Amino acid sequence: MSNLKRSMRRIFWLLALCFFLLLGYLGKLALVERQEISGNAYNPRLRYADETIRRGDVLDKDGEVLATSALQNDGTYKREYPRARMAAHITGYSSVGKTGVEAAENFQLMTLHHEFLQRLSGILRKTELKGNSISLTVDMDIQSVAGNLLGSKKGAIVVMEPSTGRILALQAYPDFDPNTVETHWERLRDHEDSPLVNRGTQGLYPPGSTFKTITALAGMEHLADWESFTFDCTGETSFQDKVIHCYHNKAHGTVDIKGALAASCNCYFAALAEKIGAEKLAKTMEQAGMNMPYHFELAYSPNTIKLQKGATESELVETAIGQGRTGVTPLYMAMLASAIANEGLMMQPYIVDHIVYANGETGKNTVPQKVTEICTPKEAEILKEMMTEVVTGGTGGAAALGGVTVAGKTGTAENATGNDHSWFIGFAPAENPKVAVAVVIEDANYGSATPIAGKILRAALDALE
Amino acid sequence: MFDLIIMLSRYVFVLYIILFLWQGIVYIAYEQGGFLGNPYSAVSMQRRIVVLMHITAFLVLSYNPETHLFDWKTLGFGAVSFGFLLMSVRLLDRYYYEGCPLIWTGMLFLMDVSLIMLQRLSPALAYRQLVWMCIGLAGMLFLPFFFRLIPRFEIFEWAYIIVCYGLLLCTNFFGVEKGGSTNWLSFGPEAFRITFQPSEIVKFLFVFYLASVFRKRVEWKEFLTTGFLSAGLVLLLVMQKDLGSALIFVMTYMVLLYIATANEFLFLLGMGGASIAAMGAYKLFSHVRVRVAAWQNPWADIDTGGYQIVSALFAITTWGLLGSGLTKGMPKSIPVVESDMIFAAICEEFGVIFGAGLIGIFIMLLYRGVRIALDCKRRYYSILAAGVTTMISFQAFVILGGVIKLIPLTGVTLPFVSYGGSSVLVSLMMIGLLQWVCVYCEQHYREEQLPSEQLGMERSGADE
Repeated sequence: MSNLKRSMRRIFWLLALCFFLLLGYLGKLALVERQEISGNAYNPRLRYADETIRRGDVLDKDGEVLATSALQNDGTYKREYPRARMAAHITGYSSVGKTGVEAAENFQLMTLHHEFLQRLSGILRKTELKGNSISLTVDMDIQSVAGNLLGSKKGAIVVMEPSTGRILALQAYPDFDPNTVETHWERLRDHEDSPLVNRGTQGLYPPGSTFKTITALAGMEHLADWESFTFDCTGETSFQDKVIHCYHNKAHGTVDIKGALAASCNCYFAALAEKIGAEKLAKTMEQAGMNMPYHFELAYSPNTIKLQKGATESELVETAIGQGRTGVTPLYMAMLASAIANEGLMMQPYIVDHIVYANGETGKNTVPQKVTEICTPKEAEILKEMMTEVVTGGTGGAAALGGVTVAGKTGTAENATGNDHSWFIGFAPAENPKVAVAVVIEDANYGSATPIAGKILRAALDALE
Repeated sequence: MFDLIIMLSRYVFVLYIILFLWQGIVYIAYEQGGFLGNPYSAVSMQRRIVVLMHITAFLVLSYNPETHLFDWKTLGFGAVSFGFLLMSVRLLDRYYYEGCPLIWTGMLFLMDVSLIMLQRLSPALAYRQLVWMCIGLAGMLFLPFFFRLIPRFEIFEWAYIIVCYGLLLCTNFFGVEKGGSTNWLSFGPEAFRITFQPSEIVKFLFVFYLASVFRKRVEWKEFLTTGFLSAGLVLLLVMQKDLGSALIFVMTYMVLLYIATANEFLFLLGMGGASIAAMGAYKLFSHVRVRVAAWQNPWADIDTGGYQIVSALFAITTWGLLGSGLTKGMPKSIPVVESDMIFAAICEEFGVIFGAGLIGIFIMLLYRGVRIALDCKRRYYSILAAGVTTMISFQAFVILGGVIKLIPLTGVTLPFVSYGGSSVLVSLMMIGLLQWVCVYCEQHYREEQLPSEQLGMERSGADE
């Protein structure tokens, strides 16, 4: 009989454990994963709007209003976006479903702070019920400069603070006017240029020569003699099953890693990659966070990296110069430039700085978090020197600024369906980086991203002062 | 104004469930020799909480903020179901005088939540649910008479398993499909068609069968026959695509086998066998693979396979700890919300804390059920009580875990809460059986104790 009771007790504990697992998992859903799950575009509750609540505002870093709700004559609220296209890919829209900050922070925007008091005051004194407002890290001064520079060129610009991951500006074109999304919905949705897609966070581009920063890093990590490794560039080099050309078949002569990066010599980096090998290059790509999930308020695409151990040689050498099947987002490239500027520490990007409650009080500031360490501070320092060389004496001359040292890397990505994409990633001032930037211009002339990046760095440095 | 009241009601409901659980703890503490409060007032307090919750919820549900009037139909149903609650308390007090009071109040709480939620989701279903609850209650009250009539019902072990097979085979041949599973029997003329799930009734009989066999010493013969016969039942259930019930049967068999033999090795062996069988089922049946895929990554396939689980997750996470407030959420966007997914609707409108509280009530039921099994001196009744407790608890776990994506979602009902005639009926009968065991053991315990108590008195007299 006692055996019977003993096993019964054990069964009780087993089942009780099952129930405690349920409690734990339910808690995890409600506390940890809440925002991520409920913010999904499929959630029908996103379209549900409490008509009696005035949705909170979206503000830039200095309090400029990017989205607000205005009371109409019929007693309902209308969502307005004073800066219209200029911040469209940040605010997103709130009409035919929701995107951007409107989707990500939907519940904050609809949450009443001190709900009981607000409702009571609403009944007694007829005051309006107002949701929490969101204060962003974005600086509209920089955002406007970026928007004007981009103009009607397809592409994206991401400006970031290297030490924290704060997004200072995020522009993408084609864009849309969030005030009129509902009217033009079908045209916007079906347009072949997909203006509703945020190219800054969701556009996947081949990185072109900007990828050479990672190839160079792989050389430092895996080759003992990387400093003395030189290659005689004749403008064209044959590998097992692939011929690599330098731009315009230009011969760079005998170059070392520094000279090759400055001149963006494809042959050198292809040869370097052949020496490193696919497995080790792929390892460095992992280490640089290319495959790492990170958290960002707005919807983003993960990079696509195809290079694996045992890849063919053509795949290896193409990847090394940023042409293979690798796809990266401008957001990630800004994170990469920031990480090099920030002693190898890659920070999590974020765009929501804090919440502003209806009574004017502010919530806690978002705490910057790191994604990963892509390299040692020493390696970051060397990369930084090499990237400074790119701007002072190499392909990135157009990004140079008077009185400030800029570090960067240019890129031209071959595009299978049309003209090349022009890239620039970089940061300034090189000695004490305050701003990092990633610019991509689609279907563009060689080097057209470089001067744009220079002007944005200037504008951002001015704005930060 | 009404919004304010609904907002406040969210806190009130959370308060109710926390107080309810706390009173349960007070009662248990007293039993264990501690003292946190008067145990008798704890039980009456729990009953009062159920009554208050019922009144609060039906007032909220019946008020129409546009016309500022109360809906008489809703109020009427509230009053009728209130009468049902009071009547069941009276009748249970009378006919199961020595049953465990915590199980009664816990059951009433769950049934009341069910009526409230169904009234909110679909009043017609709430009405039918109430009718089934009345039938279940009647059956439960009849149970003690039945057992008095047939005192040694353990000798019918073969009859139980034969009826089990009969019912399930009937479903295999004549079953109709509903909600993706062919586990419904439907009969009667078109106008009064009754559909029911035989697997629910089979659950009840299956526990009787296993307890009857395991009351004797378990040798190889018993092990093999029960093993094969149970596996056969499980196979029939899997073929009907009733995976949840199949899982519950496997678990109940393993648990009762372990309890009867106290053999850990056999338990682990059985678990290993069950895992291999599960893997085989995964390979063989596409509907099993669909369920697993929807569980692993529902987000990949939101439009079709993952839709159900994803909409449940939206409902649970959107409004947070206190929920949207009764009537303010969108639970109707969840498929089969009235039956299998009702927990998601409860979490949505009453909040996650309330949902956790419901899990707490199931833990309380589990604890009390095991307590009864442990206190019972007769092996057969003890195993019977353990079997019933395991079945209800594990069924609750399977569906709760499925809804919150802890385990793959399989369509079974949440005992007492989900809409479903056969489910409510059988759950009530199972609790009735458990309480009957409790009453029986109390009475026999007293009869055994009586002479020894007298002995003790004599001895203490002698000391003086």
